[in-house]
Amino acid sequence: MSYNSNKPTYVHAMILAAFSAGFGSLLAFTDLFTDEPIKQRRIEDLQNSLVQVLPPAIYDNNPALDTFMVPGEDGKERKVYRATKEGKVTGVAYETYGQGYAGQIKIIMGVDPQGKILGVRAVQHKETPGLGDKIEPKKGPWILQFNGLSIDNPPPNMWKVKKDGGKFDQFSGATITPRAVVTGIRKGLEFFSANKPQLLEVR
Amino acid sequence: MSTKYGTIIKDGLWENNGVLCQLLGMCPTMAMTTSATNGFGMGVATMLVMAASNFFVALFRNYITNEVRIPVYILIVAAMVTLVDLTCNAWMHELYKVLGLFIPLIVSNCLPLGRLEVFASREPVIPSFMDGLFMGAGFTLALTVIGAMREISGSGTLFADANLLLGPAFKVLETRIFPEDAAVLMMILPPGGFLATGLLIAAKRKLDLAMGKQIQMGGAHSVG
Amino acid sequence: MSVSIEKSGPFGHAQSSVSKTMSTVLVALLPATLFNVWLFGWPALLMFLITVGACIAFEAGCLAWQDRPVKSALFDGSATLTGWLLAMSLPPWTPWWIGVLGAFLAIVLAKHIYGGLGQNVFNPAMVGRVGLLVSFPVQMTAFVPPKPLFTDGAPSLIDSLGMVFGGGLSNMDSISAASALGHIKTELTKGVPVSESLPQVFDLTSMLTGMHIGSFGETSAILILLGGLFLIWRGVISWHTPVGLMGTLFVCAQISHMAAPERFASGTFHLLAGATFLGAFFIATDYVTSPISKKGQLVYGMGCGFLIWVIRCFAGYPEGVAFAVLLMNALTPVIDHHVRPRTFGRNSKGEPLSVKGDGK
Repeated sequence: MSYNSNKPTYVHAMILAAFSAGFGSLLAFTDLFTDEPIKQRRIEDLQNSLVQVLPPAIYDNNPALDTFMVPGEDGKERKVYRATKEGKVTGVAYETYGQGYAGQIKIIMGVDPQGKILGVRAVQHKETPGLGDKIEPKKGPWILQFNGLSIDNPPPNMWKVKKDGGKFDQFSGATITPRAVVTGIRKGLEFFSANKPQLLEVR
Repeated sequence: MSTKYGTIIKDGLWENNGVLCQLLGMCPTMAMTTSATNGFGMGVATMLVMAASNFFVALFRNYITNEVRIPVYILIVAAMVTLVDLTCNAWMHELYKVLGLFIPLIVSNCLPLGRLEVFASREPVIPSFMDGLFMGAGFTLALTVIGAMREISGSGTLFADANLLLGPAFKVLETRIFPEDAAVLMMILPPGGFLATGLLIAAKRKLDLAMGKQIQMGGAHSVG
Repeated sequence: MSVSIEKSGPFGHAQSSVSKTMSTVLVALLPATLFNVWLFGWPALLMFLITVGACIAFEAGCLAWQDRPVKSALFDGSATLTGWLLAMSLPPWTPWWIGVLGAFLAIVLAKHIYGGLGQNVFNPAMVGRVGLLVSFPVQMTAFVPPKPLFTDGAPSLIDSLGMVFGGGLSNMDSISAASALGHIKTELTKGVPVSESLPQVFDLTSMLTGMHIGSFGETSAILILLGGLFLIWRGVISWHTPVGLMGTLFVCAQISHMAAPERFASGTFHLLAGATFLGAFFIATDYVTSPISKKGQLVYGMGCGFLIWVIRCFAGYPEGVAFAVLLMNALTPVIDHHVRPRTFGRNSKGEPLSVKGDGK
């Protein structure tokens, strides 16, 4: 490396500027080329998680793109993904939340027009590995037991874990996580009943 | 000339291994080695960044003045990282979902910056590129082994989800060594990172001693 | 002030040694241990023997591997004490491998990797316990209600052997129950205030005598207190650490309890629940990992007490003694650095004392 300390400041500034400009434009070009594929990947990700809660057989549209907003009971807007077949709404999917052992558990659930659960998945959580993470279908079938249930089946007072006198199993050593998920799903079903006409309206 | 490349390769992989001897890049070493697959993926991403940034710095080494060299190095490393980040996101999306959060952290990894300062700013382009490549390979090797140690003891598997990283053909790599219930969870939590890294450094020194080498103690000056 | 200058020597031998100190501590632990063996029955006794045995075996193995004298170091009792304390902090009915793995964490990782007796930064028994707790949350929180020996429902020796060495207990889920601290924490997450859940588990007599749910050796407040007072009387430990710990814990808990009784349990409860007494007298007072000076020990004990309260009230785990002790272990060098005892012959600022007749 040459020893350059006698050069005036503006030379250093120019060198830095030249490198910034050069590598900046390199990144700009990369962004140009990758922008479209990245957007595409994002939609695919969404579709992949929607497929788990909305069976592909029930729709002929693309629920990932057919979305609208519905105000929830807390005043916040909720994004709803809609599945339609031959112009009729066959199911809706939306997010709901439960308060887990280590922060919020984000749940996505699909419901058919009669209010029956088509599928539930916990999409984001920080529960203890090996203990609370049994809510993932990869780690066990627990989350699948909700398929086909609705707000009246089991009755509302049974929408609890067994330890609280309800219907659903907790895991050994972990009660808080399953309780959070059950509560989240129940709230999700209540949201469906409260907004049923709006959710199923054809537009 | 061939002896020089031989030294570069040997230094990068073993003699002066980034993790095990220089103790650089501890942040990704701890954060990303919860499984062998994750360690490997992080290592490869770092290797690409290191080879590319060593290449560019060596190429421009006569134009970078002493006063602005550090900002320029960081600029180049950051540009390479962003390049890898965007490319991964666009065309290696499954890998990106695993590593995405940690790829930007390569900028703060001291190992690439250290090699720019020590090697690429003084040596010609091709040796510098080789140095980046093999220092990165040594980093990958260390991360994969630490990842394997933690994964075997902490989840009872080896190369789980290798298919997400390398393609469906690599599903065969995935092995369950013992049932999940018997796994020592601590090893995939942060303390396990320190334990596994420490044990691996000790093992390397033991091996060096057994081969009759001198061990230089306390060689590390910075950790990052 | 006058300081008489003595001639060198003669030196007397202080009647203390590592093994003597260790055996005094073991004697102090004996009543609580015997009581809890009776309380939790054969499985607890087996677990206790396995854990202590494994600690001694690992100690011997490590010493032999390092070509250090095995016999003398082995019989100094330090490994026995580590194993003993570790066993006392485990749930009473655990499978054998929990004890063995805990012994490995305590003796190999926490003690010998640092260089053996006297060199370790962290309390080995607590490293063992925390490592197990973090790794096996299910097994490590499976407490059982007391089932005293020779009473109905207590497992026989044969059953216990199957339980400890076999596949564990199949119906563990149905007999296991939460400790008092655990109960309050779970109820709180359900929205049940402490003022409602506390009376369900807080019974002063049972907590004093030890007839309640908890780890193998921590339940009997009175017997542990007796052991602790015995240690202070024999001069093995000083009062500073235990008083600092329990005082701070009590004050923090009591103040918060008075301010918000629906959220915080009372000071008395915090003192008697969990491993407070065991931690205060036997764990935090470990020579190797606590400060040297008396003032330092007071600061250290207060830090432990405060952290126990913080962890119990605000953190994810219901019990915080082990975590608090480990965190304060890490601060021990800092405390030792800042709280230095007066050097002999100098005042507290480090200046030499004036000696009569030196011309001043």
